[in-house]
Amino acid sequence: MRLGPQPRELIDRSQRVLFTFDGRAAGGYTGDTIGSALYASGQRVFSRSFKYHRPRGLLCCSGHCPNCLMTVDSVPNVRVCVEPIRAGAVVEPQNVWGSLDRDALAVTDKIGGPFTPVGFYYRTMIRPRFMWPLYEKVLRNLAGLGKVDERHHGHSRYDVEHRRARVLVVGGGQSGRAAALAAATRGPGVVLVDEGMRLRGAELEGVEVLAPARALGIWEGGLVPVDAGGVLYRFRAERIVVATGALEQPLVFPGNDLVGVMLPDGVRRLIRDFAIRPASRAVVLASDDDALEVADELREAGVAVPRVVDLRTAPLGRIEAKGRRGRVSAAVLDGRAVECDLVVASAGRQPSYSLLAQAGARVEYEPSRGIFVPAELPAGFEALGAVTGEGCATVHPLRSSGARNGDKSFVCVCEDVTTKDVDRAIAEGFDSIELSKRYTTVTMGPCQGKLCQLASIRLYARTTGVSEATVGTTTARPPWAPVELGLLAGPHHEPARRSSIHFRHEEAGATIQWAGPWKRPYAYGEHPEDEVRAVHESLGVIDVSTLGKILVEGPQAVELLERLYPNRFGDMKPGRIRYGVITSDGGRIMDDGTIARLADDLFYVTTTSTGADAVTAWFEWWNAVWGYDAEIVNVTGALAAVNLAGPRAREALSRLVDDPDDVAGDAFRYLDAKELDVAGVPCLALRIGFVGELGYELHFASPAGEHLWDRLVAEGAWPFGLEPQRVLRLEKAHIIVGQDTDSESNLLSAGMSWLPKLEKDDFVGKLAVEHVARREEVERLVGFTMEEDVVPAEGAQVVIEGRPGGRVTSARRSEAVGAVIGLAWLPPERCEDGTRFEIRVDRRTVGARVRHGAFYDASGARMRA
Amino acid sequence: MTELRFLSPSQCAEGSTASPLRRALDGAPEQVRDLSLQGVLELRGDIARVEAGEGEELVRLSPRRGFLFTPGDPFEAVARVRAAGVLAYDSTGALAGLALEGEQLMRRLTDLELTKLPAAGPFARVSALVLRDEGERFRVYVPQELGHDVALAVLDALAGLELAP
Ligand code: FES
Repeated sequence: MRLGPQPRELIDRSQRVLFTFDGRAAGGYTGDTIGSALYASGQRVFSRSFKYHRPRGLLCCSGHCPNCLMTVDSVPNVRVCVEPIRAGAVVEPQNVWGSLDRDALAVTDKIGGPFTPVGFYYRTMIRPRFMWPLYEKVLRNLAGLGKVDERHHGHSRYDVEHRRARVLVVGGGQSGRAAALAAATRGPGVVLVDEGMRLRGAELEGVEVLAPARALGIWEGGLVPVDAGGVLYRFRAERIVVATGALEQPLVFPGNDLVGVMLPDGVRRLIRDFAIRPASRAVVLASDDDALEVADELREAGVAVPRVVDLRTAPLGRIEAKGRRGRVSAAVLDGRAVECDLVVASAGRQPSYSLLAQAGARVEYEPSRGIFVPAELPAGFEALGAVTGEGCATVHPLRSSGARNGDKSFVCVCEDVTTKDVDRAIAEGFDSIELSKRYTTVTMGPCQGKLCQLASIRLYARTTGVSEATVGTTTARPPWAPVELGLLAGPHHEPARRSSIHFRHEEAGATIQWAGPWKRPYAYGEHPEDEVRAVHESLGVIDVSTLGKILVEGPQAVELLERLYPNRFGDMKPGRIRYGVITSDGGRIMDDGTIARLADDLFYVTTTSTGADAVTAWFEWWNAVWGYDAEIVNVTGALAAVNLAGPRAREALSRLVDDPDDVAGDAFRYLDAKELDVAGVPCLALRIGFVGELGYELHFASPAGEHLWDRLVAEGAWPFGLEPQRVLRLEKAHIIVGQDTDSESNLLSAGMSWLPKLEKDDFVGKLAVEHVARREEVERLVGFTMEEDVVPAEGAQVVIEGRPGGRVTSARRSEAVGAVIGLAWLPPERCEDGTRFEIRVDRRTVGARVRHGAFYDASGARMRA
Repeated sequence: MTELRFLSPSQCAEGSTASPLRRALDGAPEQVRDLSLQGVLELRGDIARVEAGEGEELVRLSPRRGFLFTPGDPFEAVARVRAAGVLAYDSTGALAGLALEGEQLMRRLTDLELTKLPAAGPFARVSALVLRDEGERFRVYVPQELGHDVALAVLDALAGLELAP
């Protein structure tokens, strides 16, 4: 029921706001929260508890407890007591079977108690092991909080903003505001963050106010992320002032979670902010003056207050709340029942020090006041107001927990942990607060210890007979306030590398796939074999812009490359190309590509598509070690590249260059590199043959990608994608580093014993290659053909005499070869040409035979044509 | 001796080159402009020996590495810088460039300190070179192969600020 206008009320009674709650129409006023509007309309049960499904009502009205979690517009776990009302919102209860008032799962509270003590899952649900998935499913349905609606994406957008501030003040109470205003007099760059609604739109001179907004934590380097709804501000401040105040602590007594047991501040908010009469008859159990004052406010709001107890001066021996259908009906104080529908109870205030602890402040216990206070703040931090302990004290929150036949006494309402649970954990040997936390899960729920840490520590101290200072606190970890994962993730951008020709592939209907960090065409139609055939019989073109491209230039460029690669470059003439493999210090194959000598002191190196950055870094690292006079420049992005391949490649190219003689057979031989203008685009043309046909790789400035591609296609070149390329290279038994090799593969076992020049003084991995050459060979990479028309999976097991004997790395059906072909690692004694072995395919084994050399055009005549 | 003409978009026939951002920025609001085909050289060697010409801007990343932004023909600028004894490579085709307006927009995209530019660092989740012009005007250069997605991220950030549709 609403009261008459209150002096500081937040609501605008002239503006009605309608929404739906649990399928019914509901309403409130502008300025209401969803929770206050529901409370004003008579709703008292706001949630069901995590484990026992006990009814729960508003407790703190400040977004700190788990009692008002609901699903709002498909976003689960929204604290409706602080969620501003909005027109058309769809609000639904969560963790309920039935309705909030009649939840079928409340049976766990009635009969499940003896069967669900702390640690029950850990002890009971581990056997039989195979049943765990079923247990998990059932438990997840019975316990827990809201469910993510996978069809709905919650907020329409999440943004992240990186901010810098000279002074960041967290907490907009009196101390925080004063600190912010004082800082503002010394210059700009002052930001005040407050989680409450009162400062929304507030103007403080020279201060930027963010409210409602929550500082989620303090990370290294003073990073403070602030949740301001759909925007996450990532603040870095020169000085951080923490003025987060203090938190009222619940009392622990039987029935302390009944609907109608509230903290004084929660009651005060209902009256002051939303003009709501919270109940008809209230009992007030106060531990400080603030809480005592609530009794007066209640009376002014027309609530009868038959009993007010100041626990500091009149400690009660026994407190108990009695209830009907989960709602408070009486407070029993030292055996005397007082009828009421509201129990306002608090153990006093505990400084809200978590952010400071995260920043590195030490926290110590003050026995005289019964509170933990921050001490020794790190440089750049300041604490002000109640967070320092100013004006704070608590009475012992534990009251009469040992009731026999009484209701449960909850230490932690988030996780439904009772005093009995904590006692049992201690009895079972969980003898440190950190261990106990993990076992009982106390402080691990949505409040993150705000309302249960102090009580659990003091219960622990009392039961074990040690001091609170010895028990200590659990580690304060971010986030201090719950945050949507979407907000932490930020805007959904997953940057992909695209070649400058990429959109031509999309326009041609190619199937695009991820290839490392790149988006590349898999094939242009449903039949990649058509594209393979085009390359063999006519002309194909593939976008190979993704290849790594590196210029190595300088008077000692050749020395650098000679030492980086196992093979030779000093004897290469400008204009020639050589295949190269980079090995690690351990002699393992790292990457491969071609090296073209463009001038005496200038080389053009290509790498695999995923290897450009790593190879550049490798080159630079070694060059820094050796100190050669050579520069390494990664030009991968600067250049697009295409491979024009097929019997018609020369003819097509000759029509696009100024002088057809430039590409005539003798003028442009296999493994020549040449600068040519093709269709008006200066290119570095490399005559190489990864796909086994006469071919030219054209490397040219990226911005001309689409132009040159269009011209080549106009000359009759069929675009072909990655899949046809894989078939074509496999027909030539060309390896793909990383697919056919792994981190253990070396040059000798990969069949490249011709490549390392061991007579060179040194190269990276030389010692290891020499060692491998002396050692007995373990396995070897060889080609094979299948005896049946089945394609084994990449990674399929090789079976030799019924035992695992190796693995398949690549396999494809080749029309040109007329068989399924592949590469596999086999024991050396099984690598003779024609040797039979078996491969596991779909739960059976299929015969295969070793095949040496290329499967297609073994002499290489076609690519050398 | 090669002149590395194949690196230079300016050496391509007229009309044969295109910006990597032209699809993403088609119809973009005025706070975003495409700078992609403006000339830029990557420099290696003793950068102190490079003299920026009229309208050029030299950005030093280290004593031996830098970029030279040039309003003229970058191919010619390469020859001039090389003649001064510093290695230069035409990087015009390597970078996608964006001119952006608004500090808040920038803060949504990078955690670089905007008062301490130029700097290299993350921008829209990729590595970028970020420069500041007068007031709240900025230039951002990213690898061209990532440019399309970066431009989309910029437009999305603008939409978040309700500065773009
Ligand atoms: S009542 Fe809403 S968080 Fe406590």
